[in-house]
Amino acid sequence: MSSVRSRSMLCSSISVRSLGVLAAIAVVAAALAFLVHDKFYLHVLIMMLLYAAASSAWNIVGGYAGQLSLGHAAFFGIGAYTSTLLFKDLGFSPWVGMLIGATLAAVVAGAIGYPSFRLRGPFFTLVTIAFAEVLRIVTLYAHDLTQGSMGISVPFRPALRNFVFRGLSNYAYVALAFLVITVLVSLWIENSRLGYYLAALREDEDAAHALGINTTRYKLVAVLVSAFFTAMAGTFYAQYIFFIEPFATFSLDFSVLLAMMAIIGGIGTVWGPVAGAFLVTPLQEVLRAKLGGELQGLDLVVYGAVLIVVVILLPQGIVPSIAAWGKRAFGQREPRPASLKGDP
Amino acid sequence: MILQADNLTKTFGGLAALKGVSFGIEEGEILGLIGPNGAGKTTLFNVISGFFRPDEGRVVFAGETVSHLKAHNLCLSGLVRTFQVVKPFGNLTALQNVMVGSFLRTADPDLARERALEVMDLVGLLECQDKAAKNLTTSDRKRLEVARALATRPRLLLLDEVMAGLNPTELVQMLEILKRIRDQGVTLLVIEHIMAVIMNISERILVLHHGEKIAEGAPKEVAGDKRVIDAYLGEEYLLA
Repeated sequence: MSSVRSRSMLCSSISVRSLGVLAAIAVVAAALAFLVHDKFYLHVLIMMLLYAAASSAWNIVGGYAGQLSLGHAAFFGIGAYTSTLLFKDLGFSPWVGMLIGATLAAVVAGAIGYPSFRLRGPFFTLVTIAFAEVLRIVTLYAHDLTQGSMGISVPFRPALRNFVFRGLSNYAYVALAFLVITVLVSLWIENSRLGYYLAALREDEDAAHALGINTTRYKLVAVLVSAFFTAMAGTFYAQYIFFIEPFATFSLDFSVLLAMMAIIGGIGTVWGPVAGAFLVTPLQEVLRAKLGGELQGLDLVVYGAVLIVVVILLPQGIVPSIAAWGKRAFGQREPRPASLKGDP
Repeated sequence: MILQADNLTKTFGGLAALKGVSFGIEEGEILGLIGPNGAGKTTLFNVISGFFRPDEGRVVFAGETVSHLKAHNLCLSGLVRTFQVVKPFGNLTALQNVMVGSFLRTADPDLARERALEVMDLVGLLECQDKAAKNLTTSDRKRLEVARALATRPRLLLLDEVMAGLNPTELVQMLEILKRIRDQGVTLLVIEHIMAVIMNISERILVLHHGEKIAEGAPKEVAGDKRVIDAYLGEEYLLA
């Protein structure tokens, strides 16, 4: 027993390797933000970091808990609209507005999660889609408050308090900070009881129930946390783009994109959403810039083709496939799989 | 009495799966539950463990009426069940599976891991701890099912055919495991079809047929009961 025990101590908390990977990503991203002056490439970097953070947030409920949401645009939009309206109309700092919006999104997530999590089957997914669509329409018609389809411009008053910066690299630093936070939250979840319980109810809800897990409650916790961080990304988006309108902020495309990045990278793993976002975002942005003008839709054709190839070659996602390959190549010297996905 | 079932009745549509079943389990005993396929054994498990609510009757566990409680609450108060068709968390390792069980009593991963390893040692799963549960053999999956339930530190453990599909060597090992669990002070309610096994380990046996209790008593009495022979054992068992 004693040898077993000493080994267990080693891999108990968040692994040093994971923190090392995170530190490496942070250093490289910060260096790029500092060194790159080309506006287009800085924009690509910022979007990569933002999408990685948002997809990590999606992954908490979609990946770890296995509850497929295709309506995270709702939480994103709540975050964007709440902070923007509070800033523009009432003069709240968007940092404060961001936390209010995130809390509001969590409350809303609980309200749609509670009834649908008691049912099994595709209900949660359907409810999330429907809810995001309803929010979009409400935002469109609540013209007095939201200016409907005209959208809202965020006033350009550069100040740290206003979450408005002159240099693009500052946005990159903030987006990086968001990503670091969501990855740390994911790492914490994965190594805590919550992570084990989410994995258990994802794998077999009856068995989880029999082992004393209140499955409805844990699914709710997952969606609350997920919605909170997704809404923060929404505020960032509004502050960075300076303009929000219902079609872009509440779009189904965006919801699907978050899910797709996590799935391509490796659903239910810490690094999956990050890898997915880092692959898909530049691909999308560069293709749009290089091919978008040539022939309408050509960029989307290439984009779709690349995604199909990735999914065929790496059906489990990039990160688990690489981990499995590393294990085969380097034998059993790899430590126990860090993620709750276990062996592929 | 650690568990007392009074007049349990459960119907599905027009079919009565349980008709007024009453019985009790003494603390520390192994009670066997037998009966032909479709007799209502698994339904009885589902009702006792909080997966189904009985239409009539009640279940008293450790002095409290628990028929209205859900499975996860019952588990917390010390009543846990396994599934006839094992339900491993396939993509998790065996150790992670058992840790899910031990997390019921602690939020600390180190402590949960330690307790999980103790239980895995008891059922002989230590060597497989890092294997994904879906890659385990049938026998190891059965052990995993028991280990996971045991890790929740139950007072009463309901085992639904944990011997089915095991070869003779594995059967003997599983029997030893169950006795060791009993010796740790856990009460066992065991559904089993293999008569040699159930006769060997049970202190008492309960027989269900068409949702009704047709016999209850020491293994020898039950084996000689005319109704049990007609309904379940058949003449051959007597001759053998």
